Amino acid sequence: MIIPILAAFAAGLLVILSRQVNGRLAMSTTPLISSFWNHFVGFAFLTVVGLVIGGLIPANIAEMPWWIYTGGAIGVVFVAAGSWLITRIGAVNSTLLVIAGQMVFGVIFDFLRGAPVTIWAAALGVVLILAGMWLTQRKR
Amino acid sequence: MTSPPTQRTNPLHLLAAFASGGLLTLAIFVNGEAGRFGGAMFSSWLAHGVGTIVAIVFLAIVWRGQRAASAEATAKIGKAPLWAYVGGLCGAVTVMLTSTSVNSPLALAGTLALGLAGQVVLSLAADFWGLLGLPKRRLDLRDAGAVILIATGSLLIILFGLGAA
Repeated sequence: MIIPILAAFAAGLLVILSRQVNGRLAMSTTPLISSFWNHFVGFAFLTVVGLVIGGLIPANIAEMPWWIYTGGAIGVVFVAAGSWLITRIGAVNSTLLVIAGQMVFGVIFDFLRGAPVTIWAAALGVVLILAGMWLTQRKR
Repeated sequence: MTSPPTQRTNPLHLLAAFASGGLLTLAIFVNGEAGRFGGAMFSSWLAHGVGTIVAIVFLAIVWRGQRAASAEATAKIGKAPLWAYVGGLCGAVTVMLTSTSVNSPLALAGTLALGLAGQVVLSLAADFWGLLGLPKRRLDLRDAGAVILIATGSLLIILFGLGAA
């Protein structure tokens, strides 16, 4: 059980490390150029890993709906935005507000598409998040 | 390169970060569907491949401005170190780690909760020490309050709010 716990925690560390590294590249170039390198290097690496392990491309790839291909396009904008923001509002604020947005929009999204949502917990969670966001923008 | 620590954060920047979290929700949903077809590795590979093409198209459209802005940034800050180009490795490895933990008793909720903890810990350290060439930021009690409120709210949603009713 210790390995999956460490893996999940390390994944969180890597999310921040990647934003920090991409942010550094964006400082010397632009957020869009940084986002390009992020995707290109990740793609090259995953291609090599996929070739070694094999079976990367599923047989039913033709049956995928077209919109599944849009994930990468959203990712380009997300990564560029992250690189742009981290140099302006810092790592903690970036982390907190991205998580806040992810959670609040996640609740709304699940609610709209009829996925099970436990109202009291989701609503209380959103209220706490909004209170925390209010703290991040208060004048120091 | 230290920004004034008492600088007020621009509310529009904070709003943009919040909105980008919404983009992340969307991307995770879409990539999750890709994962149902071909697994987490395929999903990440596809997203990075499409992302590379889309970034090239975007760059081609605005290349003049990007080249000028990049040259200006390099002149001001200096060239980026080589390691700054391989941030993409983090995202690729992240997928391998999360697909390990999602398929353990931790499941999705545990993976998200522990990932959130990892994000908060490293971002606090990053601001405190100004890790990897980014500006240092002074942390105060308001930051602590924001961390506690947003982390608690998120854990409530992850552990009790979504999924099982």
